[in-house]
Amino acid sequence: MKIKLILILALLPLLSLAGGREIYSEFCENCHGFSRQGSLGLPLYSSTIANHSDRYLQRTIKSGRPGRIMPGFNLSDAQVAKLIRFLRAGIKAPKYDTTPIKGNIEAGQHTYEKYCQRCHGVNLEGGQGTGKNFSWQKDAEVSPPALANQGFLYSAEDQMIKHVIVNGVKDTEMVSFVKVFNFNEQAVDDLVGFIRSHEKPFDHEHVIKKIDEPMSFIYTSPYKLEQTVNKLRESAAAYNFRVYPNRALLQGLGEFQVGDEKQVVVRFCNFRNMQEFLKLDPRLGVILPCRATVIEDEQGKVSVVLENYKHAVARFNNEQMSQSSSVGDLIEKMQEMVEEALW
Amino acid sequence: MVIRILILQMLLLAGSVFAGHDDLLIERVNAKFSYAWSALDKTIRAYHYKPAYLQRCDFALNERHYKSDKYRILFFGKYDEMKKMSKKYPEIVPFFPLRMTVMEEGTHTLVIATPPMTLLPLVKTNEDRMTIFRWQEDIKSILKQVKSQYQQ
Repeated sequence: MKIKLILILALLPLLSLAGGREIYSEFCENCHGFSRQGSLGLPLYSSTIANHSDRYLQRTIKSGRPGRIMPGFNLSDAQVAKLIRFLRAGIKAPKYDTTPIKGNIEAGQHTYEKYCQRCHGVNLEGGQGTGKNFSWQKDAEVSPPALANQGFLYSAEDQMIKHVIVNGVKDTEMVSFVKVFNFNEQAVDDLVGFIRSHEKPFDHEHVIKKIDEPMSFIYTSPYKLEQTVNKLRESAAAYNFRVYPNRALLQGLGEFQVGDEKQVVVRFCNFRNMQEFLKLDPRLGVILPCRATVIEDEQGKVSVVLENYKHAVARFNNEQMSQSSSVGDLIEKMQEMVEEALW
Repeated sequence: MVIRILILQMLLLAGSVFAGHDDLLIERVNAKFSYAWSALDKTIRAYHYKPAYLQRCDFALNERHYKSDKYRILFFGKYDEMKKMSKKYPEIVPFFPLRMTVMEEGTHTLVIATPPMTLLPLVKTNEDRMTIFRWQEDIKSILKQVKSQYQQ
């Protein structure tokens, strides 16, 4: 009996570890990679995790990073604990005092502007693009975190921020500012104070921003179907889009039937825009290529239908995309293009 | 009828439990692009969907500092269902056929799809809602199955 009990107790941690691996596989590895090497999400190296307290990891997993791709996960406390144990892989969790660090915000701002904003951005918005994308050769191997992100500020203790500034983060470009730039303790405290000054009340629920606009735009064409298609193609070319051959909407899905020719897709792409957006978010493909669908109903009424990309972009949880003026410009450009074609 | 509505409501509720990481459907496949692509094509057909066409979006990616130019979009669907819905709801046509983005990332491949559930606001009958829900579940299963073929 005693031997059985000892065996069970000895095997318990292994069982928990297996649970953590499964949770990681289900919820994390698509973005953070099979070996936690990073991808759409940041790398989760053991050396990085070693800087973070359990409190920080719990809050990060549950609340995510609004606008920075990482969603909040509705996992139970037990699941989160298992996941953290798996991520730690035996490395002891640091404990940070949660007492706020008092620093001179103005002095901290000066330091930030001189040493940090080059990587973390003028408004502490973080580096461009997603975590660590192997497809895109970026300036920084790992995208510098957005320090003003409310999910980060809600999760991070002042002492943890201080620890990272003092020691740097192994396997990333974050160096020790004490060793490399001779920061003294006051300079570090001022910097922490400046970063903390960006904190606002945090809404813990991860909610996709609702877009108060239709999912698609419908325009009535005064022209016949074929004329409308031709005018759209001309207009797209005039707006610097490369125009692909037309396709019937359901072409390739089955035998061509009567009526299929009355649903025509005009496909076009501006490669400069596409590459610019791919840098910000490689998941862009779910809305590519730009399309305008021309349909004729049974009464002979011809319409052009455009997707409103704002809805799709909102699902990316990537404020660099949703706040990009280029995305707004592209949607406006497509609308103008259709309006001009139907003039 | 009542039972169908109840089932639909239960399914929708089940979907909402996972709100937060279902904004996009993503699976990482432990295989190079060509293997993942072939597995995806076969699995889509096994679920009785038909791949309609492939859109390459790799124009000059290599020249613009991309490590890989394997970036493609696969359009697929079911003719009868989409024919019926596109006639009924013109607003839905920009989202047809359904699509998946397939991109190479080192030795792995990422497959990404927009959840069909996002189309729910565009349809008006329970029958159409059920169809959309089935697409959603099918795509999730297709992605899982492709991933499982190359499980580590």
